Amino acid sequence: MGIPFFSEEWIAAYKAAINGNPAYKTAAADWTYGVVALVCKAQPSAFPQDVGIWLDLDRGVCRDARLVKVEEAAKAPFCITGEYARWKQVLRRELEPIKGMMQGKLKLKGDLPTIVRAVAAAQELVSSAAMLDTKFMDE
Amino acid sequence: MEYPADLSFLFMNPTRVVYGAGSSAEVAPELTGLGCRRALVVTDKVLAAKADIVGKITRALGPACAGVFSDVPADSGVHTVNAGAELGRAQGADSIVSVGGGSVIDTAKGIAILLTEGGSLLDYQGFQLLSRRQTPHISIPTTAGTGSEVTYFALVKDHENRRKIIFGDHHIIPDVAILDPNLTVGLPPLLTAATGLDAFSHGLEALTSAQREPMSDALGLHAIRLIRRFLPLAVKNGVDLAARGQTLIAAALAGAAFSNAQVGLLHAIAHVVGARHGVHHGTAIAIAMPHVVRYNNDVVADRHRLAAEAMGVDVRGMSDEAAGVRAAESMSAFVREVGLPGTFREVGVPREDLAACAELAMSDGAIVYNAKPVAAPSDVLRVLSAAWSGTT
Repeated sequence: MGIPFFSEEWIAAYKAAINGNPAYKTAAADWTYGVVALVCKAQPSAFPQDVGIWLDLDRGVCRDARLVKVEEAAKAPFCITGEYARWKQVLRRELEPIKGMMQGKLKLKGDLPTIVRAVAAAQELVSSAAMLDTKFMDE
Repeated sequence: MEYPADLSFLFMNPTRVVYGAGSSAEVAPELTGLGCRRALVVTDKVLAAKADIVGKITRALGPACAGVFSDVPADSGVHTVNAGAELGRAQGADSIVSVGGGSVIDTAKGIAILLTEGGSLLDYQGFQLLSRRQTPHISIPTTAGTGSEVTYFALVKDHENRRKIIFGDHHIIPDVAILDPNLTVGLPPLLTAATGLDAFSHGLEALTSAQREPMSDALGLHAIRLIRRFLPLAVKNGVDLAARGQTLIAAALAGAAFSNAQVGLLHAIAHVVGARHGVHHGTAIAIAMPHVVRYNNDVVADRHRLAAEAMGVDVRGMSDEAAGVRAAESMSAFVREVGLPGTFREVGVPREDLAACAELAMSDGAIVYNAKPVAAPSDVLRVLSAAWSGTT
């Protein structure tokens, strides 16, 4: 029985997974560029409404993680938006996020070179999410 | 040539291509075909003054020309895009015709965003951020190099913050590319060579990229083939329309290849050396290319063999590794043959700045897709040092 995807419980577990991942701590030691927001678009029968996650990241630590409205997520310096099916692919490590941005499977608002410089940290953020036992509502 | 069993990719190449000597006269029916009535012509001051280039296009457009924005500098910026969009709005433009090199076409892509979305270009900083088609855009390149006429990238400088902003979005790929070799005959030999080598590198890096796939391979390899054969002829005789035309086609092929498969370390290096030391992009590419091939050779030697074969180099009986080394040697010889310098020392890059260049190259978007993962600035420095001195 997994934790429902993008629920408050999932976000709390995600924060703990990030902070418990020593590889993330090392890879993101230089990250001082602020909040990264993740937005999942609604999908009928699986994910009822657009939802954002606000990740306050600083020097290898996730200081805060919370559910936010899409409008608030859009105010973050970096906002990555994807369809529900795309986030599933990311969490299952079937889609590498930067490749997904280049191909238009995910949308990035923010400075690409900053994200590229932090590619190892981005990979570890995905690894942290992949560690969770996630329940997808359409399965 | 083998592909993994779990190969998966996305390939996008929606641009309608119109080719032929004199084909720029087709701009009016192409505009009508897009359902548009008034086009803003975007160009630079040098081209605007030439009656046989921009003048010919504005005459062909007739009343469909909403005005000419000719303030695009070589290193175009956010303010230029904003000013162009303002003129387009004031003139009631519903479309754009860009006439020029990569900087002009990239500026036009930015204007296309603002004419549809409004606001300032900085509001759209990101990747694949747009959710609808932008203002219809016909691109007419006057150089055979960047391939911007078919790509989803636009590079625009943010002069205030002293950085280049990369926009990447499938919604800004030009709708039509008119490839008219007549428009490239005035390009001087060195610029012809440098832009041609840039196009060559797009084919090469698409072929070796970590995101390589069969469709881009096909485009990239034929681009290499055409450029190796026709670029020396275009450099030697600038009015050779057949050679000019084939290099123009090759640039578009290579553009479509790298717009999908991406580029790698070579472009990361050229972007930084160009930004810090004013080295022309194509020249920086030409200098660093053989050294990047050597760096990548232990990972993609089989791909370098394909490039060597496309260049007409006899690699029969050689191992892939040896064929890759031969490819690098042949590229060095090709660079010299078309009259370009072979080292960064020759173009005035100070040796003591190479470490800073290596550091900056690590944050260039292209580096993510390099064939061989680039783990540290020391890897880049090794390539830069070899390219500076010309040693192998």
